[in-house]
Amino acid sequence: MKGTWVAMLRGYVWVKLVGGEAESFLNAATRDNVTLWDIAFTPSGELTFGIAVPDFFRLRPLLRKNGSRIRILSRHGLPFKMERLSRRKTFAGGMLAFVAAMFVLSMLVWNVKVEGGSAIPEEKIRQAAMAEGIYSMQWSFRLQDAASLSQRLSLRLPEAAWVGVDKKGTSITITVIDSTQPEKKVLENPRHLVAKTDAVITRIVAENGRPKVERNDRVRKGDILISGILGDEKHSKTVVSKGKVMGLVWHEYRIVSPLTTKANNLTGQSQERKYLLIGNRALQISGYGGEPFPLSQTRTTIQRKSLWNRVLPFGTMKESELEVTETEKRLTPAEAKEAGLAQARAELLGKTGRDSTIRAENILHEHTENGKVLLTVLFEVEQSIEVERPIL
Amino acid sequence: MMRVSRKLRKWTATILDLPQDVVLDLPRITMIGGLQITVENHRGILHFSPHNLRLAMDNGELEVTGQDLIIRNIGAEEVFVEGKITGVQLHQKGQSN
Repeated sequence: MKGTWVAMLRGYVWVKLVGGEAESFLNAATRDNVTLWDIAFTPSGELTFGIAVPDFFRLRPLLRKNGSRIRILSRHGLPFKMERLSRRKTFAGGMLAFVAAMFVLSMLVWNVKVEGGSAIPEEKIRQAAMAEGIYSMQWSFRLQDAASLSQRLSLRLPEAAWVGVDKKGTSITITVIDSTQPEKKVLENPRHLVAKTDAVITRIVAENGRPKVERNDRVRKGDILISGILGDEKHSKTVVSKGKVMGLVWHEYRIVSPLTTKANNLTGQSQERKYLLIGNRALQISGYGGEPFPLSQTRTTIQRKSLWNRVLPFGTMKESELEVTETEKRLTPAEAKEAGLAQARAELLGKTGRDSTIRAENILHEHTENGKVLLTVLFEVEQSIEVERPIL
Repeated sequence: MMRVSRKLRKWTATILDLPQDVVLDLPRITMIGGLQITVENHRGILHFSPHNLRLAMDNGELEVTGQDLIIRNIGAEEVFVEGKITGVQLHQKGQSN
Protein backbone atom coordinates (compact mmCIF):
# COMPACT_ATOMS: atom_id res chain seq x y z
CA MET A 1 0.00 0.00 0.00
CA LYS A 2 1.58 3.22 -1.11
CA GLY A 3 0.91 6.18 1.17
CA THR A 4 -1.71 4.75 3.47
CA TRP A 5 -3.69 7.94 3.91
CA VAL A 6 -3.81 8.60 0.17
CA ALA A 7 -5.20 5.11 -0.25
CA MET A 8 -7.71 5.77 2.52
CA LEU A 9 -8.79 8.98 0.80
CA ARG A 10 -9.28 7.35 -2.59
CA GLY A 11 -10.78 4.21 -1.10
CA TYR A 12 -9.59 0.72 -1.81
CA VAL A 13 -10.99 -2.79 -1.99
CA TRP A 14 -9.73 -6.25 -1.19
CA VAL A 15 -10.36 -8.40 -4.17
CA LYS A 16 -10.30 -12.12 -4.99
CA LEU A 17 -9.49 -13.28 -8.49
CA VAL A 18 -11.67 -16.14 -9.72
CA GLY A 19 -10.67 -18.13 -12.76
CA GLY A 20 -8.09 -17.31 -15.43
CA GLU A 21 -4.37 -17.34 -15.15
CA ALA A 22 -2.90 -15.28 -12.32
CA GLU A 23 0.50 -14.58 -13.91
CA SER A 24 -0.82 -13.22 -17.16
CA PHE A 25 -3.30 -11.07 -15.27
CA LEU A 26 -0.53 -9.62 -13.11
CA ASN A 27 1.65 -8.90 -16.13
CA ALA A 28 -1.24 -7.23 -17.92
CA ALA A 29 -1.99 -5.14 -14.85
CA THR A 30 1.61 -3.97 -14.49
CA ARG A 31 1.77 -3.17 -18.15
CA ASP A 32 -1.31 -0.94 -17.79
CA ASN A 33 0.19 0.72 -14.72
CA VAL A 34 -2.57 -0.56 -12.49
CA THR A 35 -1.18 -0.56 -8.99
CA LEU A 36 -1.87 -3.70 -6.99
CA TRP A 37 -0.55 -4.48 -3.56
CA ASP A 38 -0.25 -7.33 -1.08
CA ILE A 39 -0.73 -9.90 -3.79
CA ALA A 40 -0.98 -13.29 -2.11
CA PHE A 41 -2.56 -16.68 -2.45
CA THR A 42 -5.16 -17.90 -0.04
CA PRO A 43 -4.68 -21.44 1.26
CA SER A 44 -7.39 -22.52 -1.21
CA GLY A 45 -5.24 -21.21 -4.06
CA GLU A 46 -7.02 -18.00 -4.99
CA LEU A 47 -5.18 -14.79 -5.68
CA THR A 48 -6.11 -11.88 -3.41
CA PHE A 49 -4.87 -8.32 -3.64
CA GLY A 50 -5.69 -4.75 -2.76
CA ILE A 51 -6.58 -2.18 -5.39
CA ALA A 52 -7.56 1.48 -5.31
CA VAL A 53 -11.12 2.26 -6.36
CA PRO A 54 -10.28 4.32 -9.48
CA ASP A 55 -7.95 1.52 -10.63
CA PHE A 56 -10.64 -1.06 -9.96
CA PHE A 57 -12.75 0.20 -12.83
CA ARG A 58 -9.76 0.12 -15.19
CA LEU A 59 -9.44 -3.56 -14.38
CA ARG A 60 -12.56 -4.61 -16.32
CA PRO A 61 -11.10 -4.92 -19.85
CA LEU A 62 -8.08 -6.77 -18.49
CA LEU A 63 -10.32 -9.28 -16.76
CA ARG A 64 -12.37 -9.83 -19.85
CA LYS A 65 -9.23 -10.48 -21.88
CA ASN A 66 -7.94 -12.89 -19.27
CA GLY A 67 -11.22 -14.69 -18.86
CA SER A 68 -11.39 -14.26 -15.13
CA ARG A 69 -13.83 -12.65 -12.76
CA ILE A 70 -13.36 -10.70 -9.59
CA ARG A 71 -15.02 -10.83 -6.21
CA ILE A 72 -14.80 -8.01 -3.71
CA LEU A 73 -13.88 -9.19 -0.21
CA SER A 74 -13.97 -5.92 1.74
CA ARG A 75 -14.16 -2.19 1.15
CA HIS A 76 -12.08 0.44 2.93
CA GLY A 77 -11.50 4.15 2.85
CA LEU A 78 -13.34 7.42 2.75
CA PRO A 79 -15.72 6.93 -0.23
CA PHE A 80 -17.23 3.86 1.39
CA LYS A 81 -17.40 5.55 4.78
CA MET A 82 -19.21 8.48 3.21
CA GLU A 83 -21.63 6.17 1.52
CA ARG A 84 -22.35 4.38 4.78
CA LEU A 85 -22.79 7.73 6.46
CA SER A 86 -25.23 8.92 3.82
CA ARG A 87 -27.27 5.84 4.54
CA ARG A 88 -27.54 6.88 8.20
CA LYS A 89 -29.56 10.03 7.69
CA THR A 90 -30.17 10.92 11.32
CA PHE A 91 -26.52 10.50 12.22
CA ALA A 92 -25.38 12.73 9.38
CA GLY A 93 -28.15 15.15 10.30
CA GLY A 94 -26.95 15.18 13.88
CA MET A 95 -23.44 15.97 12.78
CA LEU A 96 -24.69 18.82 10.65
CA ALA A 97 -26.92 20.04 13.44
CA PHE A 98 -23.98 20.00 15.83
CA VAL A 99 -21.87 22.12 13.52
CA ALA A 100 -24.78 24.47 12.94
CA ALA A 101 -25.53 24.76 16.67
CA MET A 102 -21.87 25.40 17.38
CA PHE A 103 -21.87 28.14 14.79
CA VAL A 104 -25.07 29.73 16.05
CA LEU A 105 -24.02 29.58 19.70
CA SER A 106 -20.67 31.12 18.87
CA MET A 107 -22.52 34.11 17.48
CA LEU A 108 -24.20 34.82 20.81
CA VAL A 109 -22.78 36.97 23.55
CA TRP A 110 -22.38 34.63 26.48
CA ASN A 111 -21.24 36.81 29.31
CA VAL A 112 -20.77 40.45 30.07
CA LYS A 113 -18.06 41.35 32.59
CA VAL A 114 -17.72 44.69 34.31
CA GLU A 115 -14.22 45.66 35.36
CA GLY A 116 -12.29 48.67 36.51
CA GLY A 117 -13.31 48.83 40.16
CA SER A 118 -15.50 51.84 39.64
CA ALA A 119 -17.52 53.49 42.36
CA ILE A 120 -20.51 53.42 40.01
CA PRO A 121 -22.65 50.46 41.06
CA GLU A 122 -22.35 47.51 38.71
CA GLU A 123 -26.13 47.36 38.38
CA LYS A 124 -26.17 50.84 36.89
CA ILE A 125 -23.41 49.99 34.43
CA ARG A 126 -25.25 46.85 33.43
CA GLN A 127 -28.46 48.79 32.92
CA ALA A 128 -26.68 51.29 30.71
CA ALA A 129 -25.10 48.42 28.79
CA MET A 130 -28.49 46.73 28.44
CA ALA A 131 -29.91 49.94 26.97
CA GLU A 132 -27.10 49.89 24.41
CA GLY A 133 -27.84 46.25 23.63
CA ILE A 134 -24.97 44.65 25.51
CA TYR A 135 -26.43 41.72 27.43
CA SER A 136 -25.88 38.01 27.50
CA MET A 137 -27.69 35.95 24.85
CA GLN A 138 -27.59 38.88 22.47
CA TRP A 139 -26.58 38.25 18.87
CA SER A 140 -23.02 39.42 18.32
CA PHE A 141 -23.82 40.79 14.89
CA ARG A 142 -26.49 43.09 16.30
CA LEU A 143 -23.89 44.91 18.37
CA GLN A 144 -22.16 47.94 17.04
CA ASP A 145 -18.39 48.09 16.92
CA ALA A 146 -16.55 48.45 20.19
CA ALA A 147 -15.44 52.05 19.67
CA SER A 148 -18.92 53.50 19.13
CA LEU A 149 -20.33 51.27 21.87
CA SER A 150 -17.85 52.61 24.40
CA GLN A 151 -18.56 56.14 23.27
CA ARG A 152 -22.29 55.74 23.72
CA LEU A 153 -21.83 53.99 27.05
CA SER A 154 -19.70 56.82 28.37
CA LEU A 155 -22.51 59.23 27.37
CA ARG A 156 -24.86 57.17 29.50
CA LEU A 157 -22.39 57.11 32.39
CA PRO A 158 -21.29 60.72 32.86
CA GLU A 159 -19.60 59.91 36.18
CA ALA A 160 -17.05 57.72 34.47
CA ALA A 161 -13.92 59.25 33.04
CA TRP A 162 -13.47 56.51 30.48
CA VAL A 163 -15.50 53.53 29.35
CA GLY A 164 -13.97 50.74 27.31
CA VAL A 165 -15.80 47.89 25.62
CA ASP A 166 -13.75 44.88 24.60
CA LYS A 167 -15.27 41.94 22.77
CA LYS A 168 -13.32 38.70 22.87
CA GLY A 169 -15.06 35.73 21.33
CA THR A 170 -18.36 35.32 23.11
CA SER A 171 -17.58 37.51 26.11
CA ILE A 172 -17.67 41.26 26.45
CA THR A 173 -15.65 43.15 29.02
CA ILE A 174 -16.76 46.63 29.99
CA THR A 175 -14.04 48.59 31.75
CA VAL A 176 -15.15 51.69 33.60
CA ILE A 177 -12.60 54.09 35.02
CA ASP A 178 -13.76 56.73 37.48
CA SER A 179 -12.73 60.30 37.25
CA THR A 180 -10.45 60.99 40.20
CA GLN A 181 -12.07 62.98 42.98
CA PRO A 182 -10.32 64.82 45.81
CA GLU A 183 -9.86 62.94 49.04
CA LYS A 184 -12.65 63.43 51.51
CA LYS A 185 -11.70 65.30 54.68
CA VAL A 186 -12.73 64.05 58.06
CA LEU A 187 -15.20 66.42 59.64
CA GLU A 188 -13.81 68.04 62.75
CA ASN A 189 -15.46 70.00 65.53
CA PRO A 190 -14.19 73.39 66.61
CA ARG A 191 -11.70 72.82 69.38
CA HIS A 192 -9.00 74.19 71.61
CA LEU A 193 -5.61 72.70 72.17
CA VAL A 194 -4.92 72.44 75.89
CA ALA A 195 -1.98 71.31 77.98
CA LYS A 196 -1.70 67.65 78.79
CA THR A 197 0.48 68.18 81.87
CA ASP A 198 2.19 70.93 83.77
CA ALA A 199 5.05 72.18 81.64
CA VAL A 200 7.25 75.04 80.48
CA ILE A 201 6.64 75.90 76.85
CA THR A 202 9.68 75.64 74.61
CA ARG A 203 8.08 75.96 71.20
CA ILE A 204 4.63 76.81 69.93
CA VAL A 205 3.51 76.70 66.31
CA ALA A 206 -0.12 77.46 65.56
CA GLU A 207 -1.41 76.39 62.19
CA ASN A 208 -4.94 77.40 62.94
CA GLY A 209 -6.38 79.23 65.94
CA ARG A 210 -4.89 81.81 68.25
CA PRO A 211 -1.89 80.97 70.44
CA LYS A 212 -2.52 81.88 74.05
CA VAL A 213 0.90 81.17 75.51
CA GLU A 214 4.47 82.03 74.61
CA ARG A 215 7.84 80.43 74.87
CA ASN A 216 9.07 79.99 78.45
CA ASP A 217 5.54 80.35 79.85
CA ARG A 218 4.66 77.99 82.61
CA VAL A 219 1.36 76.19 82.02
CA ARG A 220 -0.74 73.95 84.18
CA LYS A 221 -2.62 70.87 83.09
CA GLY A 222 -5.77 71.90 81.22
CA ASP A 223 -4.62 75.43 80.28
CA ILE A 224 -5.58 76.52 76.78
CA LEU A 225 -2.52 76.67 74.54
CA ILE A 226 -4.09 77.44 71.18
CA SER A 227 -7.59 78.85 71.30
CA GLY A 228 -10.24 77.89 68.78
CA ILE A 229 -12.21 81.12 69.32
CA LEU A 230 -11.29 84.01 67.06
CA GLY A 231 -12.42 87.60 67.50
CA ASP A 232 -13.55 89.56 70.50
CA GLU A 233 -16.57 89.02 72.69
CA LYS A 234 -18.98 90.66 70.25
CA HIS A 235 -17.80 89.14 67.01
CA SER A 236 -16.41 85.70 67.49
CA LYS A 237 -16.00 82.62 65.44
CA THR A 238 -14.96 79.13 66.45
CA VAL A 239 -12.37 77.26 64.42
CA VAL A 240 -10.60 73.96 64.51
CA SER A 241 -7.33 74.88 66.11
CA LYS A 242 -4.27 73.05 64.95
CA GLY A 243 -0.67 73.28 65.90
CA LYS A 244 2.30 71.91 67.69
CA VAL A 245 3.27 72.82 71.24
CA MET A 246 6.43 71.48 72.84
CA GLY A 247 7.17 71.84 76.52
CA LEU A 248 9.53 70.73 79.23
CA VAL A 249 7.89 68.20 81.51
CA TRP A 250 9.33 66.66 84.67
CA HIS A 251 8.99 63.00 85.33
CA GLU A 252 10.06 61.41 88.60
CA TYR A 253 11.16 57.83 88.33
CA ARG A 254 11.81 55.24 91.00
CA ILE A 255 14.22 52.65 89.65
CA VAL A 256 15.04 49.29 91.21
CA SER A 257 18.00 47.61 89.54
CA PRO A 258 19.28 44.20 90.74
CA LEU A 259 23.01 43.57 91.23
CA THR A 260 22.85 40.08 89.79
CA THR A 261 21.38 39.20 86.45
CA LYS A 262 20.69 35.82 85.02
CA ALA A 263 21.35 35.00 81.41
CA ASN A 264 20.82 31.90 79.33
CA ASN A 265 23.71 30.78 77.19
CA LEU A 266 23.90 28.08 74.60
CA THR A 267 26.64 25.52 75.26
CA GLY A 268 26.88 24.32 71.68
CA GLN A 269 25.64 20.85 72.50
CA SER A 270 22.61 19.89 70.48
CA GLN A 271 20.54 16.99 69.41
CA GLU A 272 18.58 16.76 66.19
CA ARG A 273 15.34 15.02 65.62
CA LYS A 274 13.83 14.55 62.22
CA TYR A 275 10.20 13.98 61.42
CA LEU A 276 8.26 13.11 58.34
CA LEU A 277 5.12 15.18 57.98
CA ILE A 278 1.98 13.73 56.46
CA GLY A 279 -0.96 16.05 56.73
CA ASN A 280 -0.77 17.42 60.25
CA ARG A 281 0.88 14.35 61.70
CA ALA A 282 4.57 13.94 62.31
CA LEU A 283 6.43 10.65 62.25
CA GLN A 284 9.76 10.71 64.04
CA ILE A 285 12.55 9.30 61.90
CA SER A 286 15.73 9.98 63.84
CA GLY A 287 16.97 11.33 67.16
CA TYR A 288 15.38 8.91 69.56
CA GLY A 289 16.68 8.71 73.11
CA GLY A 290 14.68 11.11 75.20
CA GLU A 291 15.72 14.57 76.19
CA PRO A 292 19.40 14.56 77.00
CA PHE A 293 19.71 18.05 78.49
CA PRO A 294 18.30 19.36 81.77
CA LEU A 295 17.80 22.82 80.27
CA SER A 296 17.25 23.26 76.59
CA GLN A 297 15.76 25.34 73.82
CA THR A 298 14.06 23.73 70.87
CA ARG A 299 14.17 25.17 67.39
CA THR A 300 11.83 23.79 64.81
CA THR A 301 12.00 24.17 61.05
CA ILE A 302 9.30 22.82 58.82
CA GLN A 303 9.76 22.26 55.14
CA ARG A 304 6.73 21.44 53.08
CA LYS A 305 7.04 20.00 49.62
CA SER A 306 5.48 22.09 46.95
CA LEU A 307 4.63 21.44 43.38
CA TRP A 308 4.09 24.41 41.06
CA ASN A 309 3.26 26.91 43.80
CA ARG A 310 0.97 24.42 45.48
CA VAL A 311 1.88 23.19 48.93
CA LEU A 312 1.58 19.45 49.25
CA PRO A 313 0.57 17.76 52.52
CA PHE A 314 4.01 16.16 52.81
CA GLY A 315 7.18 17.51 54.24
CA THR A 316 9.91 17.17 56.77
CA MET A 317 10.31 18.74 60.16
CA LYS A 318 13.65 19.21 61.88
CA GLU A 319 13.82 19.86 65.58
CA SER A 320 17.11 20.74 67.14
CA GLU A 321 17.35 20.77 70.88
CA LEU A 322 20.11 23.10 72.04
CA GLU A 323 21.57 22.78 75.51
CA VAL A 324 21.32 25.86 77.63
CA THR A 325 23.19 26.85 80.76
CA GLU A 326 22.11 29.58 83.04
CA THR A 327 24.87 31.97 84.00
CA GLU A 328 24.64 34.51 86.74
CA LYS A 329 26.31 37.83 86.22
CA ARG A 330 27.32 40.06 89.10
CA LEU A 331 27.22 43.75 88.50
CA THR A 332 28.94 46.52 90.39
CA PRO A 333 26.57 49.13 91.86
CA ALA A 334 27.66 51.58 89.16
CA GLU A 335 26.84 49.13 86.38
CA ALA A 336 23.51 48.29 87.94
CA LYS A 337 22.68 51.97 88.19
CA GLU A 338 23.55 52.57 84.53
CA ALA A 339 21.46 49.60 83.45
CA GLY A 340 18.51 50.85 85.48
CA LEU A 341 18.83 54.35 84.07
CA ALA A 342 19.05 53.08 80.52
CA GLN A 343 15.90 51.08 80.98
CA ALA A 344 14.10 54.02 82.54
CA ARG A 345 15.11 56.30 79.63
CA ALA A 346 13.82 53.84 77.07
CA GLU A 347 10.57 53.44 78.96
CA LEU A 348 10.12 57.17 79.29
CA LEU A 349 10.70 57.92 75.63
CA GLY A 350 8.31 55.17 74.71
CA LYS A 351 5.65 56.77 76.84
CA THR A 352 6.10 60.40 75.84
CA GLY A 353 6.14 59.95 72.09
CA ARG A 354 8.50 59.96 69.18
CA ASP A 355 9.36 63.63 69.03
CA SER A 356 10.38 63.85 72.66
CA THR A 357 13.94 64.23 73.92
CA ILE A 358 15.44 63.98 77.37
CA ARG A 359 16.94 67.34 78.26
CA ALA A 360 18.29 66.57 81.70
CA GLU A 361 18.30 63.94 84.40
CA ASN A 362 18.95 64.42 88.09
CA ILE A 363 19.51 61.59 90.50
CA LEU A 364 17.73 62.67 93.64
CA HIS A 365 18.40 59.64 95.77
CA GLU A 366 20.65 56.58 95.50
CA HIS A 367 20.69 53.62 97.86
CA THR A 368 22.03 50.03 97.74
CA GLU A 369 20.09 47.48 99.69
CA ASN A 370 19.42 43.68 99.60
CA GLY A 371 21.43 43.21 96.40
CA LYS A 372 19.51 45.98 94.61
CA VAL A 373 20.25 49.54 93.69
CA LEU A 374 17.34 51.87 94.44
CA LEU A 375 17.28 55.17 92.55
CA THR A 376 14.98 58.13 92.39
CA VAL A 377 15.59 60.15 89.23
CA LEU A 378 14.01 63.30 87.89
CA PHE A 379 13.93 63.47 84.10
CA GLU A 380 13.36 66.68 82.24
CA VAL A 381 11.76 65.81 78.93
CA GLU A 382 10.88 68.02 76.04
CA GLN A 383 7.71 66.60 74.57
CA SER A 384 4.56 67.64 72.80
CA ILE A 385 2.01 68.62 75.39
CA GLU A 386 -1.04 69.63 73.38
CA VAL A 387 -4.32 67.70 73.56
CA GLU A 388 -7.60 68.48 71.86
CA ARG A 389 -10.63 69.73 73.72
CA PRO A 390 -13.87 70.45 71.82
CA ILE A 391 -15.55 73.81 72.18
CA LEU A 392 -19.06 73.23 73.44
CA MET B 1 25.85 -3.35 -34.28
CA MET B 2 24.07 -4.34 -31.08
CA ARG B 3 27.15 -6.16 -29.90
CA VAL B 4 29.33 -3.14 -30.56
CA SER B 5 27.15 -0.76 -28.55
CA ARG B 6 26.92 -3.30 -25.75
CA LYS B 7 30.67 -3.68 -25.64
CA LEU B 8 31.11 0.07 -25.69
CA ARG B 9 28.74 0.49 -22.77
CA LYS B 10 30.47 -2.18 -20.78
CA TRP B 11 33.81 -0.60 -21.49
CA THR B 12 32.52 2.83 -20.37
CA ALA B 13 31.15 1.30 -17.21
CA THR B 14 34.49 -0.22 -16.29
CA ILE B 15 36.47 2.87 -17.24
CA LEU B 16 34.22 5.29 -15.33
CA ASP B 17 33.68 2.87 -12.46
CA LEU B 18 29.88 3.07 -12.80
CA PRO B 19 27.54 0.47 -11.33
CA GLN B 20 26.74 -2.10 -13.98
CA ASP B 21 22.97 -2.01 -13.48
CA VAL B 22 22.77 1.66 -14.32
CA VAL B 23 24.64 1.30 -17.56
CA LEU B 24 23.65 -2.13 -18.75
CA ASP B 25 20.00 -2.07 -17.68
CA LEU B 26 20.41 -5.25 -15.65
CA PRO B 27 18.08 -6.28 -12.87
CA ARG B 28 19.07 -5.06 -9.44
CA ILE B 29 18.13 -7.34 -6.59
CA THR B 30 18.02 -6.08 -3.03
CA MET B 31 17.39 -8.64 -0.34
CA ILE B 32 16.84 -8.01 3.35
CA GLY B 33 17.59 -11.15 5.30
CA GLY B 34 15.18 -13.85 4.32
CA LEU B 35 12.24 -11.51 4.68
CA GLN B 36 12.10 -9.10 1.81
CA ILE B 37 13.37 -8.95 -1.73
CA THR B 38 13.11 -6.09 -4.18
CA VAL B 39 13.77 -6.69 -7.84
CA GLU B 40 14.20 -3.69 -10.10
CA ASN B 41 14.21 -3.86 -13.89
CA HIS B 42 12.21 -7.04 -14.19
CA ARG B 43 10.32 -7.95 -17.31
CA GLY B 44 7.13 -9.42 -15.91
CA ILE B 45 5.91 -12.34 -13.88
CA LEU B 46 6.20 -15.80 -15.32
CA HIS B 47 4.83 -17.73 -12.41
CA PHE B 48 3.52 -16.93 -9.00
CA SER B 49 2.51 -19.20 -6.16
CA PRO B 50 3.00 -19.00 -2.37
CA HIS B 51 6.17 -21.08 -2.71
CA ASN B 52 7.63 -19.91 -5.95
CA LEU B 53 7.94 -16.72 -7.92
CA ARG B 54 9.55 -16.57 -11.33
CA LEU B 55 10.31 -13.22 -12.84
CA ALA B 56 11.35 -12.62 -16.43
CA MET B 57 14.58 -10.74 -17.04
CA ASP B 58 16.39 -9.46 -20.13
CA ASN B 59 18.40 -12.61 -20.60
CA GLY B 60 16.93 -15.31 -18.48
CA GLU B 61 14.78 -15.53 -15.41
CA LEU B 62 14.96 -15.07 -11.67
CA GLU B 63 13.43 -17.63 -9.40
CA VAL B 64 12.54 -16.84 -5.80
CA THR B 65 11.59 -19.79 -3.65
CA GLY B 66 10.13 -19.64 -0.16
CA GLN B 67 6.95 -19.88 1.84
CA ASP B 68 3.94 -17.57 2.10
CA LEU B 69 5.29 -15.27 -0.56
CA ILE B 70 3.32 -12.05 -0.96
CA ILE B 71 3.86 -9.43 -3.63
CA ARG B 72 3.59 -6.33 -1.54
CA ASN B 73 3.86 -4.02 -4.45
CA ILE B 74 4.27 -4.37 -8.17
CA GLY B 75 5.09 -1.78 -10.75
CA ALA B 76 6.30 -1.75 -14.33
CA GLU B 77 9.91 -1.70 -13.17
CA GLU B 78 9.90 -3.03 -9.67
CA VAL B 79 8.59 -5.93 -7.59
CA PHE B 80 8.65 -5.99 -3.82
CA VAL B 81 8.12 -9.43 -2.32
CA GLU B 82 7.75 -10.45 1.31
CA GLY B 83 7.67 -13.84 2.95
CA LYS B 84 10.05 -16.56 4.13
CA ILE B 85 12.55 -16.53 1.30
CA THR B 86 14.67 -19.63 1.11
CA GLY B 87 16.36 -19.27 -2.25
CA VAL B 88 17.09 -17.00 -5.14
CA GLN B 89 18.30 -18.49 -8.40
CA LEU B 90 19.29 -16.94 -11.68
CA HIS B 91 18.72 -18.96 -14.82
CA GLN B 92 20.58 -17.70 -17.89
CA LYS B 93 18.68 -17.99 -21.14
CA GLY B 94 19.20 -21.32 -22.85
CA GLN B 95 21.13 -22.89 -20.00
CA SER B 96 18.29 -24.35 -17.90
CA ASN B 97 14.54 -25.01 -18.18
